[in-house]
Amino acid sequence: MTEIVVIVLAAVGWAFSLSGAVGILRMPDVYTRIQCSSKMITMGALPVLIALVVGEGAISVFGSRALLVAVLLLVVNPVASHALARAAYKTGVPMWPGAVADQVADRMRRRSGP
Amino acid sequence: MKGVYLAVAIAEVAVMALLLIRVAAGPTISDRVVALNAMSTQAAIAVLFFAAYADRTIYCDVALWLSSFSYLGAIVWSRYLERELL
Repeated sequence: MTEIVVIVLAAVGWAFSLSGAVGILRMPDVYTRIQCSSKMITMGALPVLIALVVGEGAISVFGSRALLVAVLLLVVNPVASHALARAAYKTGVPMWPGAVADQVADRMRRRSGP
Repeated sequence: MKGVYLAVAIAEVAVMALLLIRVAAGPTISDRVVALNAMSTQAAIAVLFFAAYADRTIYCDVALWLSSFSYLGAIVWSRYLERELL
């Protein structure tokens, strides 16, 4: 029974990781790739780590380390994603030509306008 | 159960191989850093599952280190890019 739960959780996490990797390969510009990568780390890594917690028990050696890694990823990953997106925008990485909204540029224009 | 752990570790490494294409082909530095950040997370999970498979407690610390310090790479790269030090 435990093994079935572990396999299902690991399969769900791996499917999300694979779709995130395909998204990073296929998306047209860096901002959409950042979106894919943060989804992939949150939704792809957490079920796999929970699978290890279920399989080994929460207070075992490996289960406690898996919980710690999950908490660290939840805290740390949005920070890195935001910093990367901000740095990419500031260095002028171009958006995809089909993008319809650029709220930072709109705000700059409004501030410098009349 | 050990076989499941080994299969998960190998599957995560396969996802890393997909991301390696973006690291090699990314048109800007930001693309490469995004792919590297995702790769380091996959590496941490793979190391943790391999530790559970091989029953080596000491590999757990490698996974912990990877997951807690890999984001510093992304932060440092974004600081360099923002201040135009490259």
